[in-house]
Amino acid sequence: MNQLTASAAIATGRVQLASVRQRLLVTAKVRVLVVAVGFVFLTLTALVRLTQLGLFEQAPDRRSLAEALLPPRGEITDRNGVPLARAFPSYSLWFNPKALGEGGNPLVKTPEEVARALVQIFPDADYKDLVERLKSGRGSYLRKRVLPEEANKVFALGEPALEFPRENQRYYPQGSLAANVLGYVDEEGKGHVGMEQVLEPRLLDPAQRGTPVALSIDSRAQGALEDELLRGMQESNAKGAAGIVLDVDSGEVVALASLPSFNPNRSDRAFNDLVFNRVSNQVYELGSTFKPITIAAAIDAGVVTDLSVRYPAAPLHIAGRTIHDSHNFGASLNVPEALIHSSNIVTAQVADKLGGPLLKQTMMALHMNQRPTIELPARGFPLWPRGENKAGDWSRITTMTVSYGHGIAVTPLHLACAYAALVNGGIWRPATLFKVDPAHIPAGTRVFKASTSARIRQLLRMIVADGTGRKADASGFRVGGKTGSAEKPGNGGYRKTSLVATFAAAFPMDKPRYVVIAMLDEPQGTAATSGQRTAAWNAAPIVGRVVPRIGPLLGVVPDASRDVDISDLSPLIGNGEGE
Amino acid sequence: MRRAYIPKGLTRQPWGVLLPLLLLVFFGGAVLYSAAGGHFQPWALMHVARFFVFLVMAMVIARIPQDWFRRAALPLYGILCVLLVLVELIGGIGGGSQRWLNLGFMTLQPSELMKPGIVLVLSWFYSVLPTGETRTWRAIAPAIGLLGFPAAFVMLQPDLGTALAICFGGVVVMFLAGLPLRWFLGAGGAGAVIAPLAFFFALHDYQRKRVLVFMDPESDPLGSGYHITQSKIAIGSGGFLGKGFGNGSQSHLDYLPEAHTDFVFATMAEEWGMLGGLFVLLVFGLIMRWGLKVAMNAPDRFSRLLAAGMTATIFFYACINMMMVMGLAPVVGIPLPFLSHGGSSMMTNMICIGTIMAVDRWSRRGSTGLS
Repeated sequence: MNQLTASAAIATGRVQLASVRQRLLVTAKVRVLVVAVGFVFLTLTALVRLTQLGLFEQAPDRRSLAEALLPPRGEITDRNGVPLARAFPSYSLWFNPKALGEGGNPLVKTPEEVARALVQIFPDADYKDLVERLKSGRGSYLRKRVLPEEANKVFALGEPALEFPRENQRYYPQGSLAANVLGYVDEEGKGHVGMEQVLEPRLLDPAQRGTPVALSIDSRAQGALEDELLRGMQESNAKGAAGIVLDVDSGEVVALASLPSFNPNRSDRAFNDLVFNRVSNQVYELGSTFKPITIAAAIDAGVVTDLSVRYPAAPLHIAGRTIHDSHNFGASLNVPEALIHSSNIVTAQVADKLGGPLLKQTMMALHMNQRPTIELPARGFPLWPRGENKAGDWSRITTMTVSYGHGIAVTPLHLACAYAALVNGGIWRPATLFKVDPAHIPAGTRVFKASTSARIRQLLRMIVADGTGRKADASGFRVGGKTGSAEKPGNGGYRKTSLVATFAAAFPMDKPRYVVIAMLDEPQGTAATSGQRTAAWNAAPIVGRVVPRIGPLLGVVPDASRDVDISDLSPLIGNGEGE
Repeated sequence: MRRAYIPKGLTRQPWGVLLPLLLLVFFGGAVLYSAAGGHFQPWALMHVARFFVFLVMAMVIARIPQDWFRRAALPLYGILCVLLVLVELIGGIGGGSQRWLNLGFMTLQPSELMKPGIVLVLSWFYSVLPTGETRTWRAIAPAIGLLGFPAAFVMLQPDLGTALAICFGGVVVMFLAGLPLRWFLGAGGAGAVIAPLAFFFALHDYQRKRVLVFMDPESDPLGSGYHITQSKIAIGSGGFLGKGFGNGSQSHLDYLPEAHTDFVFATMAEEWGMLGGLFVLLVFGLIMRWGLKVAMNAPDRFSRLLAAGMTATIFFYACINMMMVMGLAPVVGIPLPFLSHGGSSMMTNMICIGTIMAVDRWSRRGSTGLS
């Protein structure tokens, strides 16, 4: 019995042992599975992560080294590669009140001490304003464009709250030179007014911004023009001035100035009323400067064939209005005399003979009825005579007034292009601010015959040699041109004392290269202008001073032995003054 | 059919794992070739050559009878422990920590060998432990001693990664040996309590920094977070198809640190993209499957624990390395098996492979009724 129990116990023990073994084996297998599941889970995690990294992780913004070395905004240079606008990475001075952590005093010293130290580094800084900003507890710019040595000095103050973020600024090394051409770049980096606005896409395009954009401007000529215009403006107390130097053969604008101007480096200053461009945006009745255009149209049409033909110079009564001259030049004048003395009466008669349609056609060929052709964004629309009938034909009186530059208002740029066509052999070309490859000069459109142009060159030269333009006669430069002094329209008619004085010239007349136009807005009679307001006394002298300064730079050498031959016309003129 | 004409020695080999392994090593060679700027020297050639040397070693290991394994377990463990102490005493200086023992003809890293060593000795321990004792303290106290001594010494070196690898291999063996589950859960809970304490008191400054940076790599992208940030950039910029062989800028321009060792996966992923990463994962998956299958079919406790422990050791390497490179784990100096350049790691992994192959062999013998 006992034995049996014992053996049964052993058996049970064995069974138990076997069942333990069995259980352990199961446990082992289960645990291998658990480990396997753990492995699979981790592998899946890695897989998911790999997918996430491989497919969704953004590769860092890769900029090649070459791209990093490009200026952030392309440079603008003049025609000779002189930089006019450059990218200028500079430091700014930024007040970060949280630099020392949240709460507590943002500055180590007192705001007053820091402001005083800053004023010592930047003498033009406003002490009160600085103290206010430092006390405000808000982040703000204390200063823009800090020089590295100034930044070092500020750093030496030991104020962690004064930071120097590097920022891209636009820098105009020539200051306000050609400001109206260039425009400016605002705080947000957006270009305004001039070529900065026009060229914006190209200046920011990484593929193109490495190469500077060359403008047609010659900074030396631009400087001379601005300088002389400013002098003329100050001497005559004018409220504004405009000037342009235009290459007659290519349409390139070599210099373009509008005064008063602005300094594009200080885009933080308000200069909204200064950015206005009088050359391309403001339209004026340019007066007598239109007379050579009328005469050219008449010669071209065969209306004037004999320059010795004399026209009566008595005031002309047309459609209830009277056309006067500034002085009485005698009973009659021929065409050269009419130009030299600037006779409205004779010009009006020539225009009358020519007829409205032909004059209108010439004016349209000179693009006087549309905005000036140039890249600048601000271009003024001419006041174009609408005509008296449905077809827009000009009546006799309209034709006559247009012939001497009244009743039509265009920009000085229109006039420059027209004068280029007058003297370059008769081809009108659009003006451009881009440097033009001599091999790709636009063909242009013919407005006058070459013979007409040759005649006009003689006549313009005679005006400067013997007529109203004498003060523009820079010796040796064979200047030819025409004055124009138009009264500005005011309330109820023209104002006798508000004039627009213009001198439209070209040089050298034996082979014209450049048109130079100087215009003064509301010049006053001063001692410097002998008390006169008219172009002969203020605008013509400007051209007379500009030409000798820019001529040699632009490759025109003064030569007293050369001139356009006017011997066939000389016998036709007497002497006299006029406008 | 044709099988008859192929030598038996060839057909007997576990080609199911050897072929993927070969592919992986050659792939690693290609990556190292590119990382060296298109040269076989100094890494790629050595990498492949080492593999074949250690493959021969693995095949030799695979022919060792189980009996030898059992008998050698404890002495080998003892020798390794002595070597670890030696490293502490006369170890050379390398990479800020003392891990190498210069034997004259090669530098020996005993802590590396300890990874398979701990698996071997613990497998032996549990195989000799009577089955009834597995749920008593006798099953755990000696094991903890066997595990704790080398782990502590490796920590001293200091080499956190290897210490963790040793612990992981040991714990997996203990888990598979059938120790009560509550012990592991308890240990896990204790670990959760101790980890923060260890973080502040036991870890070295640089290790602590690595953990902190792991939590937020962007906090210090140019300093301690540099590794992870650059590595993620490398993997991310690879995209799906990669930049192409030899076009990885992260590695070639030395943005990526340790591009040929610890961060070789990132080097690979930049040039081969996600596809390359998937391939590597697939091969590791095959190796793991094979290892665990061998463990499941193992004839006895010792061999089962041995195979599973070795598999776990390889897995730990691969898993931690890839997680680290992908920003899922802190940066610890653990190379990627079969891809990273490095002799010690290749040796360890091939010892593991050889041991699993040995277990495979024993179980096939067992199935033919020899044992």
